[in-house]
Amino acid sequence: MPHPIPRRALLGTAAALGLSAPALGQRRSAAASVTSAVYPGAWEEAFREHVAPPLKRAHNVDLELQPLFAVDQVAKFAASRGAPPFDCFVLDPGPRITAIERGMFERFDAAKLGNRAQLPPGTADEWGVGCAAQVVGIAYNPKKVPKPGGYADLLRDPWVSRLGITGFGTTFGTISLIELAKAFGGSETNIEPALAELKKALPRIAAVGAPAAMPGLFQQGQCDVMYTNTQTVTTLRDRGVDIEFAVPSTGASTFFTTLHIAKGSENPEAAYRYVETVVSRPVQQALMGAPFNFVPVNREVPLDPGLPMRSLDDMARFNTHDWSKINPLRGGWIERFNREMAR
Amino acid sequence: MTNKAAPWALAAPLGLAYAAFFVAPLLMLLAVSFHTDERMTAFGLDQWRRFLFDSFHWKVVADTLLLGLKTVAATLLLAVPLALAWRAASPFWQRALLFVVIMPLLTSVVVRTFAWIVILGREGLVNQLVLGLGLAADPLRLLQTELGLVISLTQIEMPLLLLPLLSVMARIDPNLVDASASLGASPWRTLFRVLLPLAASGLAAGCLLVFASSTTAFISQSVIGGGRLVYLPAMVWQQAMVVANWPFAATAAVALLLSVSAVIAVIAHAGRLAAGHAGATAHG
Repeated sequence: MPHPIPRRALLGTAAALGLSAPALGQRRSAAASVTSAVYPGAWEEAFREHVAPPLKRAHNVDLELQPLFAVDQVAKFAASRGAPPFDCFVLDPGPRITAIERGMFERFDAAKLGNRAQLPPGTADEWGVGCAAQVVGIAYNPKKVPKPGGYADLLRDPWVSRLGITGFGTTFGTISLIELAKAFGGSETNIEPALAELKKALPRIAAVGAPAAMPGLFQQGQCDVMYTNTQTVTTLRDRGVDIEFAVPSTGASTFFTTLHIAKGSENPEAAYRYVETVVSRPVQQALMGAPFNFVPVNREVPLDPGLPMRSLDDMARFNTHDWSKINPLRGGWIERFNREMAR
Repeated sequence: MTNKAAPWALAAPLGLAYAAFFVAPLLMLLAVSFHTDERMTAFGLDQWRRFLFDSFHWKVVADTLLLGLKTVAATLLLAVPLALAWRAASPFWQRALLFVVIMPLLTSVVVRTFAWIVILGREGLVNQLVLGLGLAADPLRLLQTELGLVISLTQIEMPLLLLPLLSVMARIDPNLVDASASLGASPWRTLFRVLLPLAASGLAAGCLLVFASSTTAFISQSVIGGGRLVYLPAMVWQQAMVVANWPFAATAAVALLLSVSAVIAVIAHAGRLAAGHAGATAHG
């Protein structure tokens, strides 16, 4: 007996349904929704918990988060050719420069943020706005070693034999090694003095670790002094580790993790409301709390007493770095570090 | 549909899935490695030239393969006696041992790796024991050494060797061991001439898994090995995720794939030879 509906037609319909299913999962382009890339892990958790609810409450905007590392955000945008896969980027200084050079951002108008006045000057520019700061210096265990004075001290006794270092793989690692190079006569574009000094000290250095392993190595006493950011220091201190942050004699370094609106975003208005929410006082206050320990960018947030500045405006004194100069050199530096440190 | 075609038709969905999600990305990876520049605008052999004509990269390849071989050797050394003990044990103890063997698989590799920091660290369990017993004046340096990495990988990869080994061991006819003993063979001779050859297929499969898994154990290599031990997986990660030089990352990834596959082919061939030899001996 023939089937009332031919089997072939049924299969065809099923296949078409199957093919169209992924489209159902794509983001809606309704005005009241915004898709933002976010770093996987703590950032995603923090944004889901502290950004999405107030954004919905205050502006009726739904937030969809795409957990992507910086490199993946740039690559995914490049691959999408004209149809941005998300409305907002969140990037560190290095990838930010890459994305600017490749024309991936809409021009950013900070005047569209209702809370613009709460952000210190320099937080926003024509391409985006800082949503979290990092303050980089030296962390040490006060029960094991005296407070180091600066980067040059790291390679002297008694610190060198308790020192843990990491390479150019992270932003904080890169700027710390630049600062170390400066302490021995180098510059932002000349890190050779740092590598030469590190090579000499290498047999005595306690640990050369992957960036993600450094907090664990410090916690386990494998090293008692390292360059790092205040976020790591606060997180470890919250866990009961003996750790203090020292501002090097040449000054702490700072950089922003920044939010940007993707070129061709269909929801620029919702994107501005999202950015406004992220930098707002209550959200920044929440992100500063445990376990995230972000350094805020909003002046109205009272700073954690453990931070090495009394107000955000103090950060104008901190060292900053020009990533348009660093970016082209960094690949070579990473390779040099591998070679010089390899057993 | 003929009967001969039926199995192929049944295998087709899996085959197509493999083609789409494994073979195609692999070919894309290969294609990416033949781009000259980071933004992948031109084709050329630059990345391969850069990789192959640099002795540092060859050292990294050699270190990666050696790490795998050392881990396989250490795992074998511990797994074979354990498998023999398991064979001789009562059903209750067999179950208990099997549970202990499988247990590490129930925790994430990240957790196991970080647990080894606690064990091997300067103030870790091993050093507390060594210092407490007065065996050394200063803490031993175990973390961030190849020795520490091999020790931890041995524990982490152990189930991959033991599971195939135990399943083969369970199938060996106990009468063969008795026959060997009654014909006057010493226990050692029985082990090397009867048991191990008969378990060769399981041993080869286990070694293969341990080798493949330890040479590509990115997390353990980076966290326990540290920055002074450079292996290919970390290099691929650095180039892809930090430098954003995908062509060079793809080149290193293909090099990893080829070099690990070459050693795996040798292990598999040796396993087949040994199993064939054992079969010929048993039936000959």
